Amino acid sequence: MKSLSKKKGDMYYAMALTIPAVILALFFIFIPIIDSVIKSFQDYKVRNIIANLPGEWNNFDNYKKIFQSGALPNAIVNTFSFVILVIICQFVLGMALALVLNSNVRCARFFRSIMMTPWVVPTVISALIWMWLFQPQYGLFKYLVSVFTGGSVADFAMLNNPSTALLGVSIAALWKQIPLMTLLLLAGLQNVPTDILEAATIDGAGSVRKFFKITVPYLSPVIKVSISMSIIENFKQFPLFWTMTGGGPDGATTNLAILSYREAFVSMNMGSGAAVTTIWMALMIVTIGVYNKLFRTQDLT
Amino acid sequence: MNIKTTRIVSLVLRYLILAAIIVFLLFPIYWMLATSFKTNMEAYQYPPTFFPEEVSFSSYLSLFTQNNQFFVYYVNNFIVSGITALVCTLVAIITGYAIARFNIKWTVLVASLLVFTQMFPIVSRMISLYGLMSDMGLINTRTGLVLAISAAQIPFCATLMSSFFRNVPKEIEEAAYVDGAGRNRILFSVITPLVKPGMLAVGIYAFLQTWDDYLHAATLIQNDNLRTLSIGIALRYLGELSYDWSLINAISVIGTIPMVLVFFFFQKYMVKGLVAGAVKG
Amino acid sequence: MRKVLALLAIVLVVTSSLFAGGSAESTAPASAENPLTIKVANYALLESGYEDFWNGVKEGFEAQYPQYKIEWVTAPYGEILNQVINMAGGGDRVDVIFGEEAWVPQLYASGLAAPITDIIDADFVADFDPAVMDVFTIDGGIYGIPLYVSPFILYYNTELFEQAGLDPANPPKTYDELLDAAEKLSQLTDTNGNKIYPFGQTTASVVVSGNALISMIYNFGGDVFTEDGQLNVDNDGFHQAFEMLATLDDLGYNPQNAKLKDLRNLFALGQLAMYYDQSWGFNGVTSINPDAASFTASAAPLAGGDGTGEAVLCAHCFILVDNGDAKNEAVNAFVQYVISEEVLNDYMANVTPAYPAKNSMADMTAVAESGVLKGASSSISNVKKVPYVSAMSDIALDLCTLAQAVTVSNTPVDEAIDAFVRSASTKL
Repeated sequence: MKSLSKKKGDMYYAMALTIPAVILALFFIFIPIIDSVIKSFQDYKVRNIIANLPGEWNNFDNYKKIFQSGALPNAIVNTFSFVILVIICQFVLGMALALVLNSNVRCARFFRSIMMTPWVVPTVISALIWMWLFQPQYGLFKYLVSVFTGGSVADFAMLNNPSTALLGVSIAALWKQIPLMTLLLLAGLQNVPTDILEAATIDGAGSVRKFFKITVPYLSPVIKVSISMSIIENFKQFPLFWTMTGGGPDGATTNLAILSYREAFVSMNMGSGAAVTTIWMALMIVTIGVYNKLFRTQDLT
Repeated sequence: MNIKTTRIVSLVLRYLILAAIIVFLLFPIYWMLATSFKTNMEAYQYPPTFFPEEVSFSSYLSLFTQNNQFFVYYVNNFIVSGITALVCTLVAIITGYAIARFNIKWTVLVASLLVFTQMFPIVSRMISLYGLMSDMGLINTRTGLVLAISAAQIPFCATLMSSFFRNVPKEIEEAAYVDGAGRNRILFSVITPLVKPGMLAVGIYAFLQTWDDYLHAATLIQNDNLRTLSIGIALRYLGELSYDWSLINAISVIGTIPMVLVFFFFQKYMVKGLVAGAVKG
Repeated sequence: MRKVLALLAIVLVVTSSLFAGGSAESTAPASAENPLTIKVANYALLESGYEDFWNGVKEGFEAQYPQYKIEWVTAPYGEILNQVINMAGGGDRVDVIFGEEAWVPQLYASGLAAPITDIIDADFVADFDPAVMDVFTIDGGIYGIPLYVSPFILYYNTELFEQAGLDPANPPKTYDELLDAAEKLSQLTDTNGNKIYPFGQTTASVVVSGNALISMIYNFGGDVFTEDGQLNVDNDGFHQAFEMLATLDDLGYNPQNAKLKDLRNLFALGQLAMYYDQSWGFNGVTSINPDAASFTASAAPLAGGDGTGEAVLCAHCFILVDNGDAKNEAVNAFVQYVISEEVLNDYMANVTPAYPAKNSMADMTAVAESGVLKGASSSISNVKKVPYVSAMSDIALDLCTLAQAVTVSNTPVDEAIDAFVRSASTKL
């Protein structure tokens, strides 16, 4: 009897405890999102905001427009290229650094600490730092490129060239994100039991084999979480692009975040901005879903 | 002999990788520092100078004397980040506890909803949030900004916090319950003190994330005296008129220092907390 | 119990007096003790070059009209329109917006901008150049009042002209002459051995760059829109303008993907020989190099193809919002206070070189004595109006994308124009 009432009490208590978080999430996340999905099917522009007019159903016009103008496919390609490029480089470099720091190099603790600095630099400031390095006339990067190419590429402007601009933003993203990836992988590496590694060494396994057969399986939960965090972050990346390139040149760095912000807050067409974000959210959910599914099947084998 | 060479090669390789990545990570910081001590005319020199030829404090002076609106943004950022960190920690404690301890349908639902919310891009919320918040009278207020940012941080914070609560043995609670302690007392006087490292990790994480906020402040704050750092910098010092790179670099230095200090001071907790959250949570 | 009642009574009295006070404020005429506040949206307060002037305006205006107060609403240049519109959506409408002529269409389309003739005294409005006011006219109404104006004019560096063996008193007048001069200028390097760009035309993705591009199309006698705001790009001038951009880019004459502020920086440092800018862009030049006045001169926009070098007229202007008679009266006083020789003279002489739009100000000393502006003064009469298009800022950004396509992306001009038409026509 008593335990039954305790159970019930526990239930009410748990519900009560979650109420603040649920209310915040409801008001500031779910309602706005549902509202913006609704707006994506409406003709909703500045006039509606000022006169407080409700939007009008416009027969998928917002979606048709962003497809027809070619803006949406371009933004989707850019978003995915950025996410894939950043995550692959970040994982490889982060793993390399983590492995080095986990081996018996000198001052590993010191390096682990100072390598975290870029991670705490605010995003807007990291964008500024890299803009300055890439500056087309006086930038350090231009100088280094011209020195290393023996003067044959004297005018290298990373962010002004449509074929390298996305790479430029990716480098800034990598710079800020590698530290956290390294830190998490390093923590994971420290959980790999050393006795198993030693046993494998005695059995004559090479270090590459050890890495793939022992280290990676032990690391897989960490890898899974850190990569999915990274997918979410880079899928949503906005301030870096907005500050560094504003989506240019020639649309080369217009990702979904920039496109929706431009549609909604520069062109002042909330309806088509909302259409972009709706597609964006759908893509995000699908991507994470596919990622989780892939990783789960890999876990089993 | 052969084994020895491979060992040397692998050692050299290791240090090369270490050096290359560390230079990549730290050189831009040096470059920011160096530029901030150059005059504008020297900053615009090509080829660039690797050390400031004449160390000039003029950008810092101008930052402290003429362009001091920066410090309004700075103070605001401290206020908003501090309060947000507190709110997030508090809500994360109760929510995280509920998720970790009470395995009922409701908490399972809440937990998955919280994970789900992390996927939504901020821009998508901003389109509607402005209207909703102005109906509530929350536009242009710190309260509104803190609430909106907290709502965005809490999902991760609560999930992180719950992983700390899971590590607290259940027996401690049961013993307290048998002793006749109420639920609130169990949570706040018995269990919470045991997860202090988690609280610190969550608080610092929320602080760092809020310090970095751009889009919330961009949309929800229009009063220059309430603006926060990132947006303040982007708006005021990247104006349409001209660039002042020495000043921008000086601002970057000043804007980064508190984060570096906070991080190095609380490094132990941060690292532990994040690792625990990401690896076990 | 009695205490509670007393407390309730006090609360009632206090709240009712608050309400009474509230209603009294809105009906009583504004006075020095009870001043009426007007809200002025002004991005320039956030730009260091302009801040002092506007703070002086507030001080001077409030001293002269103690019954009024100014409350600034600030946001950066790129965000202030959003801000004004969002505020209006929340029921908080500003009274005056300080902005550019290019903002008028959007504010008109949103229903915020009011005809200035409803608010400003008729004889004050009558003193403005009708050709200038035409720029602000939509459907017969005038929706903005300029403080001063400037077409996109050509600034050039007399010292570099001399070094290249060109006559600094004789800047190029056509694009063909530009190419000749540019060839000589491109041989120069600065003291550090850096490249000097002969010519600058902004193409980065910001609205003002789009306007600069329209101006360049007009230089060639081209068109972008028909009178009723439809797309009209099948004309020689439009094509020639973008072919010129592609040529300039191929020859490496024009800094790629540059914002106006990039060009101002380069010009200030002596690494750019000529560039198109609004006259007040010179403020940005001097903020980098205070000695720039010694080598800066201006010239009328270049003529290309069958064009005569017509340009787009830009203006810093006030756009007004109708918030009732009491506010309108205050706004009327404010606008007339600012647009006067006394207030603007020092500003136009020292900070923002520009041409006055008001006839009675035509001979003000700031303009008569400006060495920087002299060369281009004829261009003010050779301007062409951009027809009203509600999605103007969108199209302006698409034009920037087009310019980037033919330069940084090396897309063939015709192909790039097709892509532009595809994108722009979905927005009209």
